[in-house]
Amino acid sequence: MSALLVALIAGIGAGALYAMLGTGIVVAFRGSGVINFGHGAVAGYTAYSFHELRVTGSLYLPWFDPIPEFGFLKTLKINNLPVRIDIFDVTDPISGKPNLALTVLVCLLMSAFLGLLMHFLVFRPLRNSPTLGKVIGSIGVFLYLSSMMAVHFGGQNRYDAGFSGFNSTAGAVENFLGLGRTIPRSNFYLFGAAIVMCVIVWALYRFSRFGISTRAADENEKGAALLGYSPQFLAGANWVLASITAGAAGILFLHKTQPAQIALFVVGGLGAALFGNLTSIPGATAGGLIIGMVASGGVEITNYDWWPEILPPSGVRNFVPLLAIILVLYLRGDKLPIRGSISIGRQPRAPKTNNVSIGVIAALGIALLLSNIFVSKWEAVLTTTLIAIIFMYSLTVLIGFLGQISLVQWSISGLAAYVMIRLMADGEKIRETDFVTNSGWGWPTVLAFVAAIVVAIIFGLLVGLPALRIRGVQLAVVTIAAVIAVENLLLRNPPLMGDGSVSVNPTPSPNWFGQYVGGFNPNTARTDYWKFSLFLIIIAGLVGVGVANLRRGQIGRRFLAIRANERAAAAAGINVARMKLLGFGISSAIAAIAGCMIAYKLPGLQTDQFEIFGGLALLAFAYLGGITTVWGAIVGGCLIAGGLLPEFLGVHFESIDTGLINAVGAIGLVVNAKVTNGEGVALLQTDLGKNTLAMLRRPPDDESSENLNDEEAKV
Amino acid sequence: MTNILETKDLTVTFGGLNACDHVDLAVPTGKFVGLIGPNGAGKTTFIDAITGYVPTSAGKAVFDGADIGEMKPHERAQNGLVRTFQSLELFEDLSVRDNLLVAAYPTRWYTFISDMFHLTKRDEDIESRVDWALDIMGLNDVAESMPTDLPHGRRKLVGVARALAARPKLILLDEPAAGLDTAESQILGGHLREFLNHDMSVFLIDHDMGLVLSVCDYIYVLDFGKIIASGTPAEIRESPAVKAAYLGEQAGEIQAQEGERMRGQQQETGEDSD
Amino acid sequence: MTNLTTESSSETMSDNNHLVEIENLSAGYAGVAVIRDVNLHVAKGEVVALLGPNGAGKTTTLLTTSGLLKALEGSVTVLGEPSNFSAPHKTARLGLAHVPEDRSLFFGLTVQENLRLGLRGKRSEQNAGYEAALDLLPALRPLMNRRAGLLSGGEQQMLAMARALVSNPKVLLVDEMSLGLAPIIVERLLPIVRDIANETGAGVLIVEQHVHLALEVADRAYVMSHGEIVLEGSAEELIERQDLLEASYLGGEIDEETS
Repeated sequence: MSALLVALIAGIGAGALYAMLGTGIVVAFRGSGVINFGHGAVAGYTAYSFHELRVTGSLYLPWFDPIPEFGFLKTLKINNLPVRIDIFDVTDPISGKPNLALTVLVCLLMSAFLGLLMHFLVFRPLRNSPTLGKVIGSIGVFLYLSSMMAVHFGGQNRYDAGFSGFNSTAGAVENFLGLGRTIPRSNFYLFGAAIVMCVIVWALYRFSRFGISTRAADENEKGAALLGYSPQFLAGANWVLASITAGAAGILFLHKTQPAQIALFVVGGLGAALFGNLTSIPGATAGGLIIGMVASGGVEITNYDWWPEILPPSGVRNFVPLLAIILVLYLRGDKLPIRGSISIGRQPRAPKTNNVSIGVIAALGIALLLSNIFVSKWEAVLTTTLIAIIFMYSLTVLIGFLGQISLVQWSISGLAAYVMIRLMADGEKIRETDFVTNSGWGWPTVLAFVAAIVVAIIFGLLVGLPALRIRGVQLAVVTIAAVIAVENLLLRNPPLMGDGSVSVNPTPSPNWFGQYVGGFNPNTARTDYWKFSLFLIIIAGLVGVGVANLRRGQIGRRFLAIRANERAAAAAGINVARMKLLGFGISSAIAAIAGCMIAYKLPGLQTDQFEIFGGLALLAFAYLGGITTVWGAIVGGCLIAGGLLPEFLGVHFESIDTGLINAVGAIGLVVNAKVTNGEGVALLQTDLGKNTLAMLRRPPDDESSENLNDEEAKV
Repeated sequence: MTNILETKDLTVTFGGLNACDHVDLAVPTGKFVGLIGPNGAGKTTFIDAITGYVPTSAGKAVFDGADIGEMKPHERAQNGLVRTFQSLELFEDLSVRDNLLVAAYPTRWYTFISDMFHLTKRDEDIESRVDWALDIMGLNDVAESMPTDLPHGRRKLVGVARALAARPKLILLDEPAAGLDTAESQILGGHLREFLNHDMSVFLIDHDMGLVLSVCDYIYVLDFGKIIASGTPAEIRESPAVKAAYLGEQAGEIQAQEGERMRGQQQETGEDSD
Repeated sequence: MTNLTTESSSETMSDNNHLVEIENLSAGYAGVAVIRDVNLHVAKGEVVALLGPNGAGKTTTLLTTSGLLKALEGSVTVLGEPSNFSAPHKTARLGLAHVPEDRSLFFGLTVQENLRLGLRGKRSEQNAGYEAALDLLPALRPLMNRRAGLLSGGEQQMLAMARALVSNPKVLLVDEMSLGLAPIIVERLLPIVRDIANETGAGVLIVEQHVHLALEVADRAYVMSHGEIVLEGSAEELIERQDLLEASYLGGEIDEETS
């Protein structure tokens, strides 16, 4: 019992991080009405910057050099955008490490600057966008900063350059409260820091004119504007404040966890912020601490004998934030504030795709031709693209048609893949190179495939259940928390998914009616993409036609009706709950197909593949291509890192860093949200085509009619 | 004569305030009933309560012989109790015709299977019903347009047509003429009585007194959540309580003093406003 | 449009005294005009009532005046500056206070905090405005630390008025002050706008459904119907011409009878 108590108290360490992130998320929400999924990434980027500045004296600015240094561009000798500023001279042996206070100040200034950038470049332009656009904006921030971390800092682990009081050298409290256990001293310092941050921000909101007007504008933007307060000025100021709190949290936690991980801790921060009803700073702080303590206690409980092995410690730890979020939303979902703005933009258009069959047949033919011509490298690229396209169809149905912003679909792909592997495994070694073997039921390929889809549908319906009560950004919050829970609780789980699930999970070779259609042919013991390409083309084609037909049919109409207006949909006799669940089911089935195809392609899977970053990047490119149409998914699939377009550029110019591709994707995402409202490249080009044609056809007519109008006006 | 809709003591409470206060109201089958009252009187709340969009705190509503208190909004709609909305609330991403088809087809969830193979059959009965609804609201020429491309007045008509396409037994019209100009509202008014010829009863809320007085068989007047008067249009027009509710307290008294002068001035106004 | 005051309209042609000048204004929602070709003005120290049945476009006119809605055609000039659609806060800073139909109070804030947000200008001006507003609405004094959300309807309306007044507005727009209030409270509240106009020289534009209460405090009135101004005149004249008022309110039905 004492062990549990100590574990609970030790949880204030991680809880302090959740609390600080939650505080910042509340600040940003009150200022702008946006729930920022990228808040943790701001903390992570600042933490990296702090370490880099302390160790090397250089500050990396949060952007990359847009002028690539390859090909003919090298010869242009253009002055590139500065990315690195050398602030401190660390080669000087006397001064040694840069001054700590100064370093902190510089880093906090930079996080303030990040806040301004987010306001002016992302959220201010998107202020009148529909919810989807705002969620996409904050996902863009998350992706962009994560990519920048990878590009500038290599995403590697950083060791301790923080405050001496907060690092491991601070020692531990031995025999805490006479319970015979130790707790790191730093946990208490971090707890203190979280409380100090809470008090400062709370007092600012409670007593200062800035704080009162922020609360006022949060509650009633129109009222604040009528009293002379600029809502956008307040939003900007709060973005700066929120980012500074994030930066401070990042610096303080540098020794505790790796910066890249801090970005993922945003899930706990979201739970904390919801705990505070997205409005209360003390509430968010308390919520963060409670989540941290319960998670720590939960992990301790897994040591008990009676605890079922099927619930692993890391799974329990990562399930707690999800549980907190679900509980808060379930108990208070109706009362959570939804920030109204003076005007709200409309949803992206979702036109019917006509001539589906012809288009798809043509696309299939071309793809087939390409796969014949291409060498195996290109077949690998083609299959990557096709799998991404299939996955993006699942987003087209759920987000594009039905308007339900679920971020967990990629995890459902992973779940299906792992279930299928487990069902097909028979304890035999599949390839010479495999390190582990999975025990399993040894089911035949087709049966396991179908079963995996069924499991995915059931899980998808479970995810859909909260969507019956909550909507919009709240669903996005639940599902982003579910991503981490799925990875750690369901996938990384040897009793459930087999021994391979914690390392590289070997994938069996799929045998469809006597044909090996995977990326590896056991007969020849060689990598062979030919049949796999063909198989994928057929699957992608079938799913694509199905999704396009869905849009044209009665169910598609009902999905769009729900997306446009749930109240009116119910008045038109639509059973909104049932239709939503149907959408989750269909989308999850498609996501499951994509997941199984990944397992077919690769010799082994790792759970990292299905973590938040991968899923959000796919969503980013699906949105960039066009979230509402089948063609959008096809365009999006070609754009992803490892897809046709970047690889083509890579071959013909020079290979492009994955981080840069994702960073460019993130920028494109935000630009797309603003410019095309998520209709994407696919629809944009149709519009451009139409407008150009219209202009070419009748420029003289337009002029004359204008003149006519002028004359009429004069008369 | 039977009543298609009947409420008894229907009460809706928002934070201690009775938005609808023991409302007793009946819509006889096949009749055209109106509900009027000043802004904030609780008219829309009443429709919301009848259609299941706000919970009632007391009283009951009987529709087509059955107590509908426990039904969800979509179930009420499927049973033939169909409403329109004061604000547009159209499906913006669907064409005008698709807006109607959504309401017209009784889709089952498993239809998605035949949908995916583009095998779902057209139902000619339903299609012709949709054609009729488009026709009566004068929307034939814009059936394939998006609602957002239409002027405001015609968008309101799409909302009414969508309700008509759902084969209502009782159609509840929530301010269909709001935001229409005088001409548009007269066109709408000209068609409203036709609805009665198609096996439905009509319940109308509107601010436009001229419209309500000219089309309704019977009118209820709501103020501060209570029914303060009811009667035929002629009775309502003469009711001092109604004038008081609309023009403020003293209107009734002053009106009583008005005599001949009124008629002469009236023509003057008529000319000028034209 | 019927203009009952022909001689006064020529007299008011000089724009210099006009705090609000609306010319040929069309405005509405989603690009669709709800009001058409509206012309009105408010001069210094004047109370102007904007009357008409519900849905006539009165609120739309006020929203466009304070910059919450975009003008489709025509112009709105407030205190010599064009009203800026994209920035209602700038119009507010010029000295326009708008009490909207929904009152737009901050329910989560205390009465005092609500009032504090309305303060503008130098410290001494702030204090003067604050005290003057509370002198006009003394019932608020004991409620200073109560949350606005816990006030009764009448108290909320008083707070909304007070919040507008503490900024020492040069132009005051009040939309449906009586909405949801018992007539007895309205009779107490409405005369305050008269006092403000008399004491501070502010121009006041009120939208009111209690026609006769409104005409008691107003100098002039405009009557709107179906998005257009159909009647205009001094308050005395309009009180005299009850018949015309009723015709605008109760719609074309009376036309039919008479014709």
